Amino acid sequence: MSDGELDFDADELAMLRGLFRAEAQEALETVTTRVLAGGSTKPNAEALTEMMRVTHTLKGAAGTVGLMAMVDLSHRLESALAAFGREPSPWTPQTADQLVEVTDGLRAYVETAGEPGSDAIADKIRDQIDQIARPNRRPQSLPPTFVEPPPEPVLEPVHDAGPAPEPKAWLRVEPERIEDLMSSAGELLFDRTRIERRVQLLRTLARDLARTRQSLHDTLDVAGPPNRASLVEAEGELASQAALLSQTTAALLDEIEALRRTIGELQKGLTRIRMDSARNLFLHAARTLRALRRATGVHVELRTLGEDTEFDKAVAEQLVDPITQLLRNAVAHGVEPPEERAARGKPVTATVTIRARQDGNLLVLEVSDDGRGIDTSALRERLVATGRWSQTRAQLANDTEILDALLGTGVSIRGDADELAGRGIGIGLVRETVSKLGGEVKLSSTPGRGTTFSLRLPLSTALAQAMLFKVGGQVYAIPNVHVVDTTTVEPTAHVTTVRHEQLPVLRLESLLGSTTVLERRAGVVVSFAGKSLVCTVDKIVGPREIIIKPLGPLLAPLTLYAGATISGSGKVQLILDPAQLVRRAYPDSPTEAMFALDSAPVVLAGRALVVDDSRAIREAMTSMLGREGWIVDVAEDGARALQMTKQLRYDLVVTDLEMPELGGFDLIARLRKDERFKSTPIVVITSRANPEHRRRARDLGVRALVAKPITRRKLLEALAAR
Amino acid sequence: MLRLVPELRNVIVFTIGGVRYAIELRWVREVVSLGFVTGVPSAPSAFSGVVNLHGTILPVLDVAALLDQPAGHAARQGDGALVLETEGVVCAMRVDQIDHVASLHETGGAINDASGRPLTLLDPAVLVRRALELITMAAAGAVPVAAS
Repeated sequence: MSDGELDFDADELAMLRGLFRAEAQEALETVTTRVLAGGSTKPNAEALTEMMRVTHTLKGAAGTVGLMAMVDLSHRLESALAAFGREPSPWTPQTADQLVEVTDGLRAYVETAGEPGSDAIADKIRDQIDQIARPNRRPQSLPPTFVEPPPEPVLEPVHDAGPAPEPKAWLRVEPERIEDLMSSAGELLFDRTRIERRVQLLRTLARDLARTRQSLHDTLDVAGPPNRASLVEAEGELASQAALLSQTTAALLDEIEALRRTIGELQKGLTRIRMDSARNLFLHAARTLRALRRATGVHVELRTLGEDTEFDKAVAEQLVDPITQLLRNAVAHGVEPPEERAARGKPVTATVTIRARQDGNLLVLEVSDDGRGIDTSALRERLVATGRWSQTRAQLANDTEILDALLGTGVSIRGDADELAGRGIGIGLVRETVSKLGGEVKLSSTPGRGTTFSLRLPLSTALAQAMLFKVGGQVYAIPNVHVVDTTTVEPTAHVTTVRHEQLPVLRLESLLGSTTVLERRAGVVVSFAGKSLVCTVDKIVGPREIIIKPLGPLLAPLTLYAGATISGSGKVQLILDPAQLVRRAYPDSPTEAMFALDSAPVVLAGRALVVDDSRAIREAMTSMLGREGWIVDVAEDGARALQMTKQLRYDLVVTDLEMPELGGFDLIARLRKDERFKSTPIVVITSRANPEHRRRARDLGVRALVAKPITRRKLLEALAAR
Repeated sequence: MLRLVPELRNVIVFTIGGVRYAIELRWVREVVSLGFVTGVPSAPSAFSGVVNLHGTILPVLDVAALLDQPAGHAARQGDGALVLETEGVVCAMRVDQIDHVASLHETGGAINDASGRPLTLLDPAVLVRRALELITMAAAGAVPVAAS
């Protein structure tokens, strides 16, 4: 096609055409929406005016970027639309289909317009538009009884739109840019975790420094005079440096916490940008149903409810296929033939309803038909007849369980469920997709009245790329950003060469307790914080998009796992933390040795509660007691502590005296009234221990009074006191 | 805590490994049939694994192992389980059989069923605490496994 004379250089033109394409898609989408909204009836004057307006704008824009064939097509479409507005021109049930076909064709065409070979498409669309504009060339397509409604004036005031809304300024952004931001925000989370680990290391150092100082202090007690003065001075300096380090670390932890909150807000905000209303999904559904109606000749109308419901665009995209599948299913199996419907006293035209709504954090999508419903007794018989269920089980199962069997819930052999009821294949696919998004499918049915599929899934999802692999019969995942490559590893190799680099081999089969024996193993090359290693696996499954789910507070101490994901069949798959794998492959590096020391096995002493209004002291006590094998809970004042003791029993309570809300002595007095804490060891830490304090402490059965500042030695003595 | 006055407790009575237990209904969120149980390597034996329940990942606890009681078989798909919620932890607990739901009198921690046979009354807070302790120890002990 020959483009007109243009004032742009090649780069500018490419950029402008990109903009034009986006604009054209939007304009044509508007036309489609308006046509579909009318069903098989003619759109009202307002809708026609809107359609003409956007088509007209499209014509102008096409001219500006030199797409003359597009100018011609838009002009023809505009004229055809104008004809419907001007006169009582025939709008047949086919007209809507034809218009949708034209706009769909145009949307495909604009993507290649101006490129060689696009002219043939333009010609085809031109013919289609002409068919709409001059239907009298094919009068046989007109139903004889068709009565056109009276013409509506084109400039009729807009009804049911309320007062004209303030014009809003919109910003058009390519989805990829938001995706990039989302993944950067995800990376931030990883960064935060890494910083946190470093700070934990600093804490360990601060603790060790304090211990060194203590032993220096102890040595000084017995040291001779020669250098004593300078040693004392050094010890003093060391003490203040240790304190400073410890304070700084505590402050850093606070700041990391603030960072975590900010990242959370950022992710929430970004997800909001990606929010899409159900409208686009419904539009797609309308188009699908239209195509199905044409293909099968089934009389069926679509009703949509809740089109303003908002959810993540990523979720919406994943739902396109399941919705198509469910519509197909409703048309093919749900809806009865017209005679049967008439005999049952139902309207001849069936209705499929899609309803979207928000339920807390969940999106609920219901696809229902008013067809024949599912005969559960027949299904019951078939379950038994195919040997899937025992007679007893089928008899005992209620209807919900029978319908669940149809969905294949908890049934490991895929495919059977569909064939069972003779319903269209692909219900399993619906369940798989929804399950992958972290949701559930429920099926309900009333015989003779219809069937409802209800999809419940999270409003937004954080999809991440991960490498999946099998070890010992289970599937595991590693975040893909940390997977560099895949390779094979010889049976007994401890190191292997990948891209000219010697890397340590981490045997996942022994780490994950697998007994599978293999000649050679596949290897996943993992890189984290500048260190790489090869993890041996039984079999590589491949990269997948997964949703990361937390393992919950109970399993959180198992740091090997960064979370879990749910497979299409509803199984849990564990995600390995690359940082932990590196740590295991490089046990000798100085920082890792530090970590290892910090988490050396301990003998559990019991559960302790530390009550103090100073965070620094709570932290200090936690680490000191932790080293002695105590599991430590903390409370910032007596009131909170009291609340905690109501829920849990403690084997040791360490409390400060002066605190807001409820002071130390009051706390102890109340604890002693509780049967469970009658004889629990209690240690008091205080900055001022006067005789009155000592007397009260003795009366309350306090085991020891420790004067601040607290040292490990003082604490151990207090714990050993009887 | 010693109670002299009997208190009425709404409990669910069930059996694991031949031992009959009761747990207060207020802690039981749901009674479910377990989905596929994924094993969690390096977790202590008191954890049978994790399951997907309505899109949430739940640990499955083996109460017998937690309490050093006679064990039933290891949890697997299709087993009955109670979903417990306490102290911010939600977990599933495999059971062999659920007997009934009843209002029973508890006197000083002792509880008998309708026919006077004693039941073990479980406190989920204690179970969760014990589980957390075991897992913390396992996590600490698991570190030196490094590249052997």
